Amino acid sequence: MIQLHNVSKLYPPDNTGVRDIGFQVEDGEFVFLCGPSGAGKTTLLRLLFRSEPVTEGQVIVNGRNITRLKGKGLAAFRRRLGLVFQDFKLIPHMNALENVSLAADVTGVSWRQSRRKAFALLSELGLKDRYGALPPALSGGEQQRVAIARALVNDPELVLADEPTGNLDPEMAEETMRLFARIQRRGTTVLIATHDYRLLRRFEGRVLMMRQGRLVGEQYTAGAAASP
Amino acid sequence: MKSTHVVFVAGRVARSLRELFWTHLLTAGIMAMTLSVFGGFLLVQDNVRALVRGWSDEIQVFVYLGDGVDPAAGEALRARLAAYPEVKSARYVSKARAWEEFGKTLGSQSGILEGLDPGTLPASVDLELRSGHRSREAVLALVRRLAALEGVQDVEYPETWLEKMRLLMTGIEWLKWVVGGFLFLVAFLIVVGTIKLAIVARQDEIEIMQLVGAPDGLIKAPFVIEGMVQGLIGAGLALALLRAAFSLLTADLLAPFGALIAGEQFVFLSAAQHVHLVLMGWLLGTAGSMLSVKRHLA
Ligand SMILES: Nc1ncnc2c1ncn2[C@@H]1O[C@H](COP(=O)(O)OP(=O)(O)OP(=O)(O)O)[C@@H](O)[C@H]1O
Ligand SMILES: [Mg+2]
Repeated sequence: MIQLHNVSKLYPPDNTGVRDIGFQVEDGEFVFLCGPSGAGKTTLLRLLFRSEPVTEGQVIVNGRNITRLKGKGLAAFRRRLGLVFQDFKLIPHMNALENVSLAADVTGVSWRQSRRKAFALLSELGLKDRYGALPPALSGGEQQRVAIARALVNDPELVLADEPTGNLDPEMAEETMRLFARIQRRGTTVLIATHDYRLLRRFEGRVLMMRQGRLVGEQYTAGAAASP
Repeated sequence: MKSTHVVFVAGRVARSLRELFWTHLLTAGIMAMTLSVFGGFLLVQDNVRALVRGWSDEIQVFVYLGDGVDPAAGEALRARLAAYPEVKSARYVSKARAWEEFGKTLGSQSGILEGLDPGTLPASVDLELRSGHRSREAVLALVRRLAALEGVQDVEYPETWLEKMRLLMTGIEWLKWVVGGFLFLVAFLIVVGTIKLAIVARQDEIEIMQLVGAPDGLIKAPFVIEGMVQGLIGAGLALALLRAAFSLLTADLLAPFGALIAGEQFVFLSAAQHVHLVLMGWLLGTAGSMLSVKRHLA
């Protein structure tokens, strides 16, 4: 699903985002990107959804070199991704349902279809009664789930989530992580950046360790909390 | 475009028009001002033209005959000139008749003519021109031909008047483009600025749209349509403004001049001119917003 070859991202004059990264993620894998603040997790994710160009190296997603993607091709590529951001990135004047269906609307499915899908997902995420609320009126956990619902509305083949539990209390964080595990078991590849090592080792998956822009290790977690 | 996209874009436009209501209204107002100034020039042009047409009914060309032309030859020349396509009517005025008419115009002062030779004034053929042949160019061409005729000593026509009218018309035409063009430029820049404001106000939303893979057109269309709507509203306002000003002015202030106009009525803009103004508003809004989107929406 993902292949990185000698990927570096430098911010002139002297900041290093990531340096000389190479790894591979198979279809349907559950992968954590773990490391302290400033390790380059966000930078790496941004390279994966082509928010920025690499300085060096190649990023291949689903057999496609996305290093030089732009315009129409980039938009089409992103429509097949599910992105969850640390700061949610919800549109404040659109209610939960509209925020979720937005991602479906842009693919051109019918208005009806996108609403139905959005509503079903919000219900599954326990927001059945909150779908009409605007983001500012939702709690952090609720907003988080809206953002996750939006990431899933187009049945993405790859989910990229940046610190999706960063602002949540431990209970909510674990709940959210379980949800990602469920999605992964349905066959979606999931890549989650987090510095919460204690949380992730309760789930079954592969951990890529980062430090100062470099990949410094790799391990597998057995997972205790993965099954409810 | 898919129907979902149409609904989506329409929603965006409606929302932005509401959120930046005063900004948009101001911009539409400025466009209305620009278009009504331009439309006002068109109105003035049309009506001055009609006015000039009315006045030109009185254009006369006087063909003065040499002393050697006797009344019979004068009459013959009159008949010949009356057959010209430009000539509506021709009247032969003998030396004696000219003297008599001159005396009449002097009225009580005609005493000063006593002792003068009644043959002083030349005989003439006075021409009235047909309506299609009263332009400056047509009159000048006719005058040149007349002057070349045998027996004709001099041709007189309202040269300065024609020249003044011509200057007036060119002046209005120039003003229309200079003033109108300047205002167009100002309005255009204001549209660019307003759409920039709309873009900046939705920067976060645009970023999110890009992140969920919205097609470029879907992100940009609402802003371009916003500009179009502004232009169309501006044009509508301008037409309403012009209509109101026209009714007010012609009913009151200018009414006495109405009689001077050919057709005896002031004319409002034609249907084609209505369409032109609306198209201009549309173009102004669309071009302005497209430039703004190109420059400010990466
Ligand atoms: N736009 C940028 N301009 C300059 N330097 C940047 C930029 N983005 C990231 N960096 C640098 O790249 C390095 C990695 O940053 P990154 O945000 O990827 O870290 P992170 O692992 O996501 O940290 P955190 O856990 O705090 O989110 C940092 O040293 C940062 O200063
Ligand atoms: Mg980060």
